[in-house]
Amino acid sequence: MAKIIVVTSGKGGVGKTTTSASFAVGLATRGYKTAVIDFDIGLRNLDLIMGCERRVVYDFVNVIRGEANLNQALIRDKHAKELFILPASQTRDKDALTLEGVGNVLDELSKTFDFIVCDSPAGIERGAQLAMYFADSAIVVTNPEVSSVRDSDRMLGLLSSKTKRAEEGKGQISEHLLLTRYCPKRVTKGEMLSLADINEILAIPLLGVIPESQAVLRASNAGVPVVIDSESDAGQAYADAVGRFLGEEVPFRFLQEKSHWIKRLFSFKEKEAV
Amino acid sequence: MAESTTVMERQSCFQFKTSFSPCTIMQVTRYDLDEIARQLDTTIQKAPNFFIGSAVILDLEGVKTQTNIDLAAIKKILLANNMVPVGVRGGNDLQHQEAAGVGMPTIAIGAKATSTPQAAPTADAPSPAESNKKPRETALQSNTKIITTPIRSGMQIYAKDGDLIVLSSVSPGAELLADGNIHVYGALRGRALAGVQGNTQARIFCRTLEAELVAIAGYYLVKEDIQELPSQDSSVQVYLDNEQVKIAAL
Repeated sequence: MAKIIVVTSGKGGVGKTTTSASFAVGLATRGYKTAVIDFDIGLRNLDLIMGCERRVVYDFVNVIRGEANLNQALIRDKHAKELFILPASQTRDKDALTLEGVGNVLDELSKTFDFIVCDSPAGIERGAQLAMYFADSAIVVTNPEVSSVRDSDRMLGLLSSKTKRAEEGKGQISEHLLLTRYCPKRVTKGEMLSLADINEILAIPLLGVIPESQAVLRASNAGVPVVIDSESDAGQAYADAVGRFLGEEVPFRFLQEKSHWIKRLFSFKEKEAV
Repeated sequence: MAESTTVMERQSCFQFKTSFSPCTIMQVTRYDLDEIARQLDTTIQKAPNFFIGSAVILDLEGVKTQTNIDLAAIKKILLANNMVPVGVRGGNDLQHQEAAGVGMPTIAIGAKATSTPQAAPTADAPSPAESNKKPRETALQSNTKIITTPIRSGMQIYAKDGDLIVLSSVSPGAELLADGNIHVYGALRGRALAGVQGNTQARIFCRTLEAELVAIAGYYLVKEDIQELPSQDSSVQVYLDNEQVKIAAL
C-alpha cells in the first residue's frame, strides 16, 4: 500500500507545486517508487516544473473518464527513474474530477507505488478537497505572512474533518508544516512573520524551512525541480525536509542570516535545548 | 407524587422519564358535530398514515364560551377515525368536568405541564446506576461541551444550552458560540460569543485574550476596542455590566 501525501496550502502561489515536484524527486532518488499527481485541473503547472510538458499525451481526467489507462498517462521522469508524473488536464475544469474516479486511480497506483504525492490546487473548493480526501499525510505549505498562515490554518481544519480518514474515524492525518520563501533577514527587521509566530498559530510539527532563493525561480523556468540543484540552499533545504519526512533527524538550516554562521551554530544548540 | 418517588427509589419497579412525543392538538374553533366529522374525514384522507393511531388533545380555548358541547360525541368521532383522544386543554371549568366524565382529563398548558416535581434529594446515597443517569436528566449541567483539539480558522463550535470549554487554542477566523459561558485555556485569537440566546449573566474566561471579537448576549467588543483596554496578557474574564462589555483580570 502506498502512502498518499497531499501538498496543500489554501493560498495560491506559496510553492505547492514546487514542493510537490521537489518532494517527489527527493523520495524517488532515495529509491521509493513515487507518483506525483497534478490536481490543478485547468491550470496545469506540475509538468512545467518537472520539465515534461512536451511529453504529455493523456492526463488525469482522461484516466478518470476511461479514455486512457493509467500506464498510458503516467510519464516517467527524466531526473529520477522511480518517479512518474500524472499531469492535469489543461482544457477541463475541476468538476471533471469525481470522488469515485480519484479513488480508483489512487487505488490502482497504491498497488505498485510506495508514495503518491498529490499536488493540490489553491482554494478550498472541490479540487482541493478531492486532493486531500484520500491522504494519509499532509504537507501544509505556508509563507511567512499572515494571509498564508490563516489559509493554512483553515486548511488544517478541513484536513481534520473533510478527509476519508476523518470520516471513517481511522485517526488523524499526519500533518507537517513546510515554511517556504523564508527570509531570515526580513524576519529580523520585523517585516516577516517569524518561525515562532507561525508555530504558535499552526502548532503542527515543522517539516522544513525553505529559504527565499533565486534558485527556485531558476529551477522552475528550467523545468528541473530545485531539489536536484544540490548546490543551492533551497535544494538542500528540500532534501533535508524529505529526510525528516522519512523519519531521519536532520538539523534545521537557513533559519538565520547567512553571515552569522557562529550565531547560527549557537542557535541550533538553543533549539536542541528547548 | 412524593410517595411514588420514594417507592421508585426503594424498589425500582419503574423510572419516571420526561419525553416529548408528538401529539396532535385539535383546536376546535366552531362547534358543529356533523361538520367536525366531515372535516376530519377529508383531512385524514389526505394523509391517513399521519393520523392513524395518533394521540389527540382537544383544545377548547376557541369554544370556551359555549356550554352545549357534547364531548362524548367528539370522542366517539375521533375513535371512529382511529385517533386516540387523550385529553382536553383550554376551555372552561364546566367543560373540564364534563371531559373528565368521559375519560378525557385536562392537560395543563405550558409551564404547568412540565412542573412535575423532581425526585427530592434523600439522605441515602444514590446507587451507581442512578448517579450515571442523573447528569443526563438535569439538562443545564450536562450540556457542557469540551474541545481538546485546536480550533482552526473557519471552524465554528456551538455549545447549545450550556458552557463551552476549549483546552487548546482558537485560531483567528474561528468562532466559538455558547448559550452559557466560554472557557479557553489556550490562546483565544478567534471570536467568542457567550450567552448567544440572550443570557446576560454568561461570561468568557481565557488565559490570553487576543480575540477578534468577544460578545456577551449580543453586546460585543471588537479587537480594536479590546486592544485599548489593559490586562490582556494575563488571565481575564469578559462579562456584561449594565449593557457594557467589561474585561477584568482574574
